[in-house]
Amino acid sequence: MTDATASGAPATAPANSLMAPDARTARRNAAEKRFRAYGLGAIAVAFGALVVLLLSILSNGLGAFTQAKLSFPVTLQAEQVAEAEGALLKTSAYKAMLQEALAAYLAEQGTDVDAEVAISLLSDEAAATLREFALANADRYGEPVPFTILANGRIDGFFKGRVTYESAELDRNVSPEQLRAAESLRDAGVLTAGFNWSFITAPDASDNRVEAAGLGVAMLGSLYMMLVVLVLALPIGVAASIYLEEFAPQNRLTDLIEVNISNLAAVPSIVFGILGLAIFINWAGLPQSAPIVGGLVLTLMTLPTIIIATRAALKAVPPSIRDAALGLGASKMQSVFHHVLPLAMPGILTGTIIGLAQALGETAPLLLIGMVAFVREYPDAPPEGLFDPASALPVQIYNWTQRADPGFFERASGAIIVLLLFLLVMNLTAIFLRRRFERRW
Amino acid sequence: MNDMRLTERVRTEMATKMQARGVDVHYGDTHAIKDVSIDIPDRTVTAFIGPSGCGKSTFLRCLNRMNDTIPIARVTGDITLDGEDVYDRRVDPVQLRAKVGMVFQKPNPFPKSIYDNVAYGPRIHGLSRNKAELDGIVEQSLRRAALWDEAKDRLDQPGTGLSGGQQQRLCIARAVATSPEVLLMDEPCSALDPIATGQVEELIDELRQNFTVVIVTHSMQQAARVSQRTAFFHLGNLVEYGETGQIFTQPEDPRTESYISGRIG
Repeated sequence: MTDATASGAPATAPANSLMAPDARTARRNAAEKRFRAYGLGAIAVAFGALVVLLLSILSNGLGAFTQAKLSFPVTLQAEQVAEAEGALLKTSAYKAMLQEALAAYLAEQGTDVDAEVAISLLSDEAAATLREFALANADRYGEPVPFTILANGRIDGFFKGRVTYESAELDRNVSPEQLRAAESLRDAGVLTAGFNWSFITAPDASDNRVEAAGLGVAMLGSLYMMLVVLVLALPIGVAASIYLEEFAPQNRLTDLIEVNISNLAAVPSIVFGILGLAIFINWAGLPQSAPIVGGLVLTLMTLPTIIIATRAALKAVPPSIRDAALGLGASKMQSVFHHVLPLAMPGILTGTIIGLAQALGETAPLLLIGMVAFVREYPDAPPEGLFDPASALPVQIYNWTQRADPGFFERASGAIIVLLLFLLVMNLTAIFLRRRFERRW
Repeated sequence: MNDMRLTERVRTEMATKMQARGVDVHYGDTHAIKDVSIDIPDRTVTAFIGPSGCGKSTFLRCLNRMNDTIPIARVTGDITLDGEDVYDRRVDPVQLRAKVGMVFQKPNPFPKSIYDNVAYGPRIHGLSRNKAELDGIVEQSLRRAALWDEAKDRLDQPGTGLSGGQQQRLCIARAVATSPEVLLMDEPCSALDPIATGQVEELIDELRQNFTVVIVTHSMQQAARVSQRTAFFHLGNLVEYGETGQIFTQPEDPRTESYISGRIG
């Protein structure tokens, strides 16, 4: 205050002018700028990694959604079918029928492709497909029925660039001759590529029939497990959270329970798998590979997540709301169910869906309870179907990556796309529910 | 205005509504209320004043057993409502709170419509047989809280969308709707601006016609304006209790005098 220059001429800027930042301010500003740059850098790295991941999955997996197929008419004769049914090797009799029909069709089309080679382009499924149709449609004998039959995995791979003439030379499963035949059949319009519905609906197929492998059973299995998790984990988790948060006395037992719930959330999932194997299968005698067991194991795994999220949501409701209700003479339960729970609902739903999404992608515990089994039969509708053997999406992906045929790698990537779509839909649902409940008064 | 109050007080025969005898409250190891005895007369406004932390809010919350919700709080002594011990084992605090309503420091309307806010109490206590009756209760309560004219066209809009003063009057309407006998107010104006405070004070004065009102306040002016009787708390003790005019003009205890003249607190 005794500074004499303070009242001096303004010609020279004072030492503490507002126009120029002092050293300390400059340092602080620089630090802030650096921090922002770090943040942007971190986001860019994360985003870049995500893009690379998605691109690699899409480039590997999109092929699984298209499939080369041969279309030609087959005329079934009743006596032929009867004869084939009487034969020792039924499928080879049907294969002969297919070959005959294909030869006739190729001759009609005027291509020079040998029917023997052409039939070798078909999937091993072909004869079984024809037999199934023949037995189910006795009324259509004698008329030409248009058939679309999957080309085998190597031919399909040829059109997707996985198989070339050079690689065919070295491959005992496919010859350059077959590839040439495939090309001329494509030019003739017999061999076409289309959307692969069977990838989504069909069950898994054995190692040498990659073209027939689909996700149908795995998707049903995952869906059933999610149903079990939702039906069990949501009410149990929410009830436990409400009790712990609103009613439980503050004592050491409650503290112990709280610590244990937090610990359970961090337990590796495979441990839950061992628990499920020991308790649900060995002790309770539930069937292996069944969605009910998978669902129970995933419920145990998801419960801590749901409880922690729900308790956080309940804690976030201001205590003044509870006081208001209690002050009006509402009982504890009324104050919780009429006021606290509706306000906590968005948080609870978000936590639940995050838990479900986590459970949907979980593989390790399912391996231990036999969900990795090769399952061709679709499970029945719930509730009985919950006890039928089924697979699960992440396990199916794991399973396919273990197989030799490179076609399965493509299928595995395709299955990852399906799994990611499922997760995307679930997260969108979470956001939608959140918005809806938050807006409601 | 003070003269009018005085004559009124002389005229009113004051029956005791609530009575406390030797009440002690412990929060864990803290002795928050020390041996407080007080008679709260029917259909009057009684103010609790005192410096922060003196226990006035704590004692208020004993009157409708809101302290039950705090696990470490322990209340001993007798508190009666119309001669019945409210801490008796047979008393359900939920039923007690329907008779002894409460308005809190911060306006805390439910995040529901204005109508549902007011109708909540009557609904859970089954005070109406049909929609028309409920509508009647809601209207009457909002009128009593001097909010009807502002709210009647927006009953379906959220109560949280009102201004602070309106929210507090909504909370009063909500408390009034359950037809309590006693209305406890815990610093109801501390979050309000002077105009809203004035409205709420006017309202409190009117509520005296139908209810016994106990108000905790920081503001001595407010106590002087709205109450007929004033209790001065200090460090957990009830230092002095008497007619408001007397407390503010001729306090008996030197601590009361220090406080109202601004030397402590």
